[in-house]
Amino acid sequence: MNLSFFDQFSSPCLLGIPLILPSLLLPALLLPSPGNRWINNRLSTIQLWFTHLITKQLMTPLNKAGHKWALLLTSLILMLLSINLLGLLPYTFTPTTQLSMNMALALPLWLATLLTGLRNQPSASLGHLLPEGTPTPLIPALIMIETTSLLIRPLALGVRLTANLTAGHLLIQLISTA
Amino acid sequence: MPQLNPNPWFSTMLLTWFTFSLLIQPKLLSFTLTNNPANKITTTKPTPWTWPWT
Repeated sequence: MNLSFFDQFSSPCLLGIPLILPSLLLPALLLPSPGNRWINNRLSTIQLWFTHLITKQLMTPLNKAGHKWALLLTSLILMLLSINLLGLLPYTFTPTTQLSMNMALALPLWLATLLTGLRNQPSASLGHLLPEGTPTPLIPALIMIETTSLLIRPLALGVRLTANLTAGHLLIQLISTA
Repeated sequence: MPQLNPNPWFSTMLLTWFTFSLLIQPKLLSFTLTNNPANKITTTKPTPWTWPWT
């Protein structure tokens, strides 16, 4: 009976069009591309300032080689932020409540970081499987634990975003229908 | 839970990556950062020269 509260998360379909399509594409309308001018309108300037802030926060601890990740990570943050914030409006559909979208983002990106690390610095990335200062008898167990945690990471993070958003929306609906 | 229905999973994955890589990333790339405004730099004075009149 109470499982009907989960019906708000079923992928909506109107006249045969899956509505996840506009709900993924339309948040990009809130981020207008700037024109060719040096100084654009106020909305673009605010966006630029915000993007610059995000990129600075992400890239300051990294050396020059790590700055290649700037575009990927900043655009990911902007996309998820716009989608999730728009989902707070009533009667909107939030695509990030769908496990499919979160796993689609989590698995390739996690694999990318793993393979990049293994390719560029194989011994250092394998060395991360054993924390510093581990007592010797614990070494085999800890390597297994760290390997498991590494392999579970995309599933854990994808489910984390899905579960957090689903729980939030469910809570909103429960409170409103109390 | 309706999210576990595997039917739209492939299309959702494709749409997510298309939106992410073909919509958001080019929009972000078209931003050019402006330098922060700074005071006039008066440390280097131009060395004066005399025009050679023939």
